[in-house]
Amino acid sequence: MRDHPLARLLLRGTTVLVLGFLMAPMLAVVVLSFSPTELMVLPPRGFSLRWYEDFLTAGRWVLATRNSFVVAIATTILATPLGTAAAIGLQLGRFRGKALLVTLLTLPLVTPYIVTAASMYFAYSLAGLSGSLLGLVLGHTVVAVPFVVMAVLATLQTFDANLLRAAASLGAAPLPAILRVVVPNTWPGIAAGAVFAFATSLDEFVITLFLAGPGQFTLPRQMYASVREFLTPTILAAATLLFLCSLIFLLVSEALRLRAARKVVR
Amino acid sequence: MTAPLVRFRDVTKTYDGHTQVVAALNLDVQRGEFLTLLGPSGSGKTTTLMMLAGFEDPSSGRIELDGARIDTVPPHRRGIGVVFQNYALFPHMTVAENLAFPLSIRRMPRAEIASRTQRALEMVRLPGFGDRRPQQLSGGQQQRVALARALIFEPKLVLLDEPLGALDKQLREELQTEIRRIHAQLGVTMVYVTHDQAEALTLSDRIAVFNEGRIQQLGTAEAVYEHPANPFVAGFIGENNRLAARVLDATRLRLGDGSVLTATPHDLPAGAAALLSIRPERVALGAAAQGMTNAATARVEEVVYLGDHSRLRLAHAGRTDFIVKLPRQDAVPQPGTMVELGIPEAAVTVFPAD
Amino acid sequence: MRRTNWLAALLIAPLLLLIIGSFLMPVGLTLFRAVADREVAAALPDTSTILAAWDGQRLPPEAAFAAVARELAAALEERRIGDVAQRMNFERTGLRTLLLRTARAGDRLQAPYVASLVALDARWGESETWLMLQRAGGPTTSLYLLRAMDLTRGPDGAVMQVPDDEKLFQTLFIRTLWVSLLVTAICVLLAYPVAYTITRLRAPWSSVALTLVLIPFWSSVLVRTTAWFVLLQREGPVNDALIGIGILEAPAQILGTRIAVLLALVHVLLPFAILPMHSVMTRLDATYLRAAASLGANGVQRFFRVWLPLSLPGVAAGGAMVFLLSVGMYTAPALVGGDRDQMVTWFIANFMTRDVNWGMAAALSAYLLAMSGAVIALTRILTGGTIQAGARA
Repeated sequence: MRDHPLARLLLRGTTVLVLGFLMAPMLAVVVLSFSPTELMVLPPRGFSLRWYEDFLTAGRWVLATRNSFVVAIATTILATPLGTAAAIGLQLGRFRGKALLVTLLTLPLVTPYIVTAASMYFAYSLAGLSGSLLGLVLGHTVVAVPFVVMAVLATLQTFDANLLRAAASLGAAPLPAILRVVVPNTWPGIAAGAVFAFATSLDEFVITLFLAGPGQFTLPRQMYASVREFLTPTILAAATLLFLCSLIFLLVSEALRLRAARKVVR
Repeated sequence: MTAPLVRFRDVTKTYDGHTQVVAALNLDVQRGEFLTLLGPSGSGKTTTLMMLAGFEDPSSGRIELDGARIDTVPPHRRGIGVVFQNYALFPHMTVAENLAFPLSIRRMPRAEIASRTQRALEMVRLPGFGDRRPQQLSGGQQQRVALARALIFEPKLVLLDEPLGALDKQLREELQTEIRRIHAQLGVTMVYVTHDQAEALTLSDRIAVFNEGRIQQLGTAEAVYEHPANPFVAGFIGENNRLAARVLDATRLRLGDGSVLTATPHDLPAGAAALLSIRPERVALGAAAQGMTNAATARVEEVVYLGDHSRLRLAHAGRTDFIVKLPRQDAVPQPGTMVELGIPEAAVTVFPAD
Repeated sequence: MRRTNWLAALLIAPLLLLIIGSFLMPVGLTLFRAVADREVAAALPDTSTILAAWDGQRLPPEAAFAAVARELAAALEERRIGDVAQRMNFERTGLRTLLLRTARAGDRLQAPYVASLVALDARWGESETWLMLQRAGGPTTSLYLLRAMDLTRGPDGAVMQVPDDEKLFQTLFIRTLWVSLLVTAICVLLAYPVAYTITRLRAPWSSVALTLVLIPFWSSVLVRTTAWFVLLQREGPVNDALIGIGILEAPAQILGTRIAVLLALVHVLLPFAILPMHSVMTRLDATYLRAAASLGANGVQRFFRVWLPLSLPGVAAGGAMVFLLSVGMYTAPALVGGDRDQMVTWFIANFMTRDVNWGMAAALSAYLLAMSGAVIALTRILTGGTIQAGARA
């Protein structure tokens, strides 16, 4: 069933323009980050890696990169098992109020980040956690873990519950059965959740703005500080590197999605 | 006779508090026997099996295995093998790893696991398939592996939940033979759930016919077929003609059209309403019918040729749906013709009408 | 089954505890902060106790004057005067000065305190001042929630509008809602044809187009907003281009304007509108359109009477998601917007970090949460489904 040729032309034209609008700013940043001078003009007047060199040698950027990865790795390590366990529990359990529980666990997704951040700022300072690595990781985990729960829950929808019964009938206690049967069969979902958690933490800005102490600036936090201070192409180099990370996460998550889909088909 | 292996004592299962999926079940499973739970879907047979396996908890009553109460024991400590309809082979493991799973759970030495796995594959005639993934096998092969996996840790009891339901007819019959051979070979007790009455008759030492959460009849294949305990069993196992009648005396009954039918002696009082069940293959036609007490002439309405037999629909006893099965023979009556018909007295089963 | 539920509870418990402890309780605490009123009672305990028993007629007893003089001096000594001064200034501008002056007066205040306090500042002789102190005695107050709506309490305790020159929050909420609605409308209008086209494109092209939506979806909001910050500079590429094609004669100040905020918000949130619409449309069977055609519907009728109604749940989900994220978005408006054209989120951050007025930050947070909750509830009622997916904003 085809659309009218004129309608199709209009639709495709709009789509090209919108997709161009979506991609253009990022492409511009990538191109400008290779600018040979401090002038950010298009088209570029040459090619240089000096801003990347600056990024890699400036103490604050190196520290921010290190902080970002430390926090993201810690968040992933905390969020993935917690979220996976909770998702498996939600799938196994037969009790009332399950929908309410899912809503509760994924509430950080729909809560305005500024409210989450402000609340954590209040509460964590009372608990002596503000400005600490633990506080920052906890904050990131709260907003990252719903993605793990949802990714694993989605994979578990296609998991055959009889496999757990079979494992029990063969003598496996519940916990070994989960580790030996559920986890190996849902790993694409778990891995996708971990990638989501890592990406969320790496890109997180608002909560870090409030919770991070002076020595804990992450990449987005350092970018924000630098933009407010003085705009240099080094910031664009940082943005380009973060953008590159996002592309990698997208690729990995799509690969995992295909993998999970293939598992179902077979 | 030794003590039964499994005893259900007043076991009831309800999900919502009032509808009883299984109602006051009392059932003994004898050592080494092949018992089939047969019934339509929703009759409680699968729930009974799931309670025995430990996947469902009884609402009340108790279940004993080998004299010990097991309804409070978690499924993984019951030591009961289970074969599922959808095989439930672990897709992330090879066939050999699937078979080794229960053995490695029991911390058996590697060499022992390897030799047992080998023997199990030979038992189900799949040697050399150990390195395959379950997905690379046909449905029949997968179910053989599932059977081997349920047997490999030498459970006293194996439960089979409609294991052949997903297979086509030819494969089903092949695997029925296989299951019977393995049962005879190992002497293990098997409880088998199916809704296919032919399968139940083929496999079982005893059959428990379920309906609406209750066992309607428990007995050998021959007993439930030849001597059904009630109209439900008569109707569920094999085909039958049902006729309403009124009792005249200890052997004679009057049918709806006024004719009189003689049966073997029954204990219904004269004047009581009765329901008669007559198996289609036991009705004699033509020359074979001559001299029988219950002889009549009937009109052939329809003839369906089915290869090994023909199925005739006759107008008889005031009805036009009286079915007769005629073994393959040269002379099959034509529709529209009149035919002699005789019903042996022993072929008439008399039930009280509700 | 009972055992399974125990196991399930055991698996869910750690995460539930984490969410309760590090999310739900902090948010609850914030909501409580919006009504908590403990500064005055904490700094001036005796004064509060005496005032609690005061009937409010004429002036309070001499003991109250003595207590307030003593306790204010002590609070200054222990550097706790700031909280209570700020709290009272919130009741009425100028009370900060009164309290600080009284605290610093020190030895000049002697018994009888009534006379010496009134001599220091005539406002101590007005019962209104004391009524406000009494009202601020806690433990709860509606002051912050009222003020966040440009309301206050008069001397008699009745709710009334604040003077026009102090009004701020009503326009703030209206502006936030208006900008969010505008962003939502633009996103929905742009997203629908894109989602439709992606759904109807052939095999490799639909994936390519979808990837071009997923790339911005996955990249950080800050990176994308920073991109706009760079592009919209006075000497930036956008100004260059606009001059190049003759629309502008001289570089325009785009950063800090409403246009910049709208551009950045639409750019950040557009994928959140496209993806739910696309996911609903891919599940629409093309045979519906064939059926409609076989029943005699032309292209326009097929679209408006079959495709559009069936795809509305996706539109509702996408629109609600965009609105929800837009109302709560801090990063984009804060970076490219002007200081006098900011949203609720910016004020929350400001009350937190610059003014250190946690009561106001909490009150605004409470209203923001209420707005988000209302949007989610409305969407659930309209579509019968839940909003899923989230933003890393």
